[in-house]
Amino acid sequence: MAVARSREVTTMNRKAIALVVVAGVALAGLVSVAFFPAGSIAAVVAVVDANYLGAALRLTVPIAFAALGGIFAEKSGVINIGLEGLLIIAAFVGIATTYTVGGGQAAVWIGFAAAVLASTLFALLFAVVTIEFKADQIIAGLAVWLIALGLGPFTARVIWGTVNSPSVPTLNDWTVPVLSEIPWVGPVLFDANPTVYMLLVAVPLSWYALNRTAFGYRVRASGENPRALDTAGVNVSLVRYKSVLISGVFSGIGGAGLALGQVGQFIGSGQTMVGGRGWIGITAYLFGNYNPIATFGASFLFAALDALQIRIQQIPGLDLPGSLVRIVPFVIVIVVLALIGKTRLPSAAGEHYDSDED
Amino acid sequence: MTNIQRRKFLKYTGGSVALTGLAGCSGGGGSEETTEAGETTASEGETTASGGSGGDTINVGMVYALGGLGDKSFNDMAHRGVKQAAEKYDVEFQNAEPSGPSDFKTLQQRFAQSTSPDYDLICCIGFAQTSALKETAKQFPDQNFMLVDSTVDSDNVASYVFKEHEGSFQIGHLAGQITKMGFEAGAGKTNDAGKIGFVGGLEIPLIKKFQAGYMAGNKYAHEDNEVTAAYVGSWTDPAKGKEIALSMYDDGADIVYHGAGASGIGAFKAAQERGRFAVGVDADQSKSASEYKDVILASMVKRVDQAVATAVENVVNGSFKGGQINALGLEKNGVQPVLGQQLGSSVPDDVTAALEESRKAIIDGDITVPTKPGDV
Repeated sequence: MAVARSREVTTMNRKAIALVVVAGVALAGLVSVAFFPAGSIAAVVAVVDANYLGAALRLTVPIAFAALGGIFAEKSGVINIGLEGLLIIAAFVGIATTYTVGGGQAAVWIGFAAAVLASTLFALLFAVVTIEFKADQIIAGLAVWLIALGLGPFTARVIWGTVNSPSVPTLNDWTVPVLSEIPWVGPVLFDANPTVYMLLVAVPLSWYALNRTAFGYRVRASGENPRALDTAGVNVSLVRYKSVLISGVFSGIGGAGLALGQVGQFIGSGQTMVGGRGWIGITAYLFGNYNPIATFGASFLFAALDALQIRIQQIPGLDLPGSLVRIVPFVIVIVVLALIGKTRLPSAAGEHYDSDED
Repeated sequence: MTNIQRRKFLKYTGGSVALTGLAGCSGGGGSEETTEAGETTASEGETTASGGSGGDTINVGMVYALGGLGDKSFNDMAHRGVKQAAEKYDVEFQNAEPSGPSDFKTLQQRFAQSTSPDYDLICCIGFAQTSALKETAKQFPDQNFMLVDSTVDSDNVASYVFKEHEGSFQIGHLAGQITKMGFEAGAGKTNDAGKIGFVGGLEIPLIKKFQAGYMAGNKYAHEDNEVTAAYVGSWTDPAKGKEIALSMYDDGADIVYHGAGASGIGAFKAAQERGRFAVGVDADQSKSASEYKDVILASMVKRVDQAVATAVENVVNGSFKGGQINALGLEKNGVQPVLGQQLGSSVPDDVTAALEESRKAIIDGDITVPTKPGDV
């Protein structure tokens, strides 16, 4: 009873805090209207057009794919924080393979497939270490990231002599005739990179798989109550292996989408070209409470804010410090996660399951 | 420094160099890395453990900036400079590429401490090494250093800075003229909007200098021309660099100039997708990133290679002077706009003539180029 009460209070507190935050944002908006010329506010609103939405969708691709992968792994009880590493591996292998094969679009697609394969194999390694050998999932996930962070640039140096690769072709946009002529919707949804279409298909498919299929039930049971699943005669380890492999496939598409869908080059210096998109992906699925559709929404929100800050920087007269504008997406993440988030981890997430059979 | 530490160090830096050499062989042509004239290899370094390797060979340690070798601009230019010196003189050099800002001090000190070989000059490439070098230079007063893009006031450090704003003014002057004249060449075409863009890497005073000069040059070309500018917030995020450039092109910009390291490669990609123009930086990027030569109108070349080569040459000739600040501007061709190898010939003569005029005016002091965007 007392517990329930305190929970109620926390929820109320959270709601109150959320209200305060919203009020604060509104106030800041009013203040900005007062201090900045009305023209700049109109200019901020005016940046939201078809080009803007297209950019936001492109920026969403790597984040959302990593996040979708993370959902499957974590729902099954394996916390995969190595998503960033999987993105790096996929980006590198995609570029390296395309570079080696050489030639036009066919080579890019071969590179794409190789990237997904490499990421999946890496995920398999992670799965073996965590499921078979019961290594700590967080440590193993960090290892995946650190290994990728070292291995990508190192292998790049072996192949090209430098940590950055030469340029290779990228996937051509697919334009759907007629439909792409529709104002607003057309250029955003029907004249886009293939990886954007893949994402738009993968999101509802993931939702369906998790919520409406036997496999989805097993994944969720494996994360909530693996003992019950085992009792029902289902091999928990197998379900977890499959889920982690799915996270590898999705991350592979995300990393290849970044490298082969947009840039056509691997940059291995510093944090590599992936630059934290995998970590944002983790935040996105926590924010989306493991629901693929909400997670897509969260990823899109981050990407859209990023695309927005790019444009806000360019508005003349609106002289906000750029570095301040650039942190807006991350501040929102913290506010949302800390105050409004209702994320509930799967009960058995992070725990090993021992079937006691041997 | 004990022998074991030294071995570790040689393995660390030398190993990567050896791999560089190997990759050059297996990569087969095309890459610049195939002619590593004076580069030492790990095995060589490890066998001469007794210090002071052979004769009068000048040993140079290179600590690069974070973008890494292969950035097709800044670091590769520095690398080219030391290679030039190695081809000309009896010079051997070791490359060290830091993986994060915390590595600068470590790498500088490792070179400074090393006795096998004993480094005659340590080249620190990039402004980010300034604070690390301040400490290292104090700890090793007998070691010669050179620093590119920043200054350290110490008797053993020769500082080389560039007047990027002057070179960028010329780029702005060029772009400002082109955007108004119905220019079409290679894969690009202007839409005569009188609008150009600038993509920066990190929002720091150094890059602001590029932006300020560019804006002033654009205004000098046509008073009512517009410039938009945005910063990526990273040197290594070409995807975001591309999105920024795309947003500028979609907004009507004809030419986008970048000072964003590897992130700027994204601006070239965007130019190709939209059929407009881009301007490179640090090196002649129509050559170093030749996949994009059909849209690279020009590059603001910063002769980092000259700075490095000169410093090494001074050490070879015994005329190295620490405590000096060498400011390289348009006058000594330390910075200069270089037209793209493919598109350059299409640039009309009256444009290049106007550029030559503004160059003279800057050198003579008739035009003062601002270094802060707010002063334009």
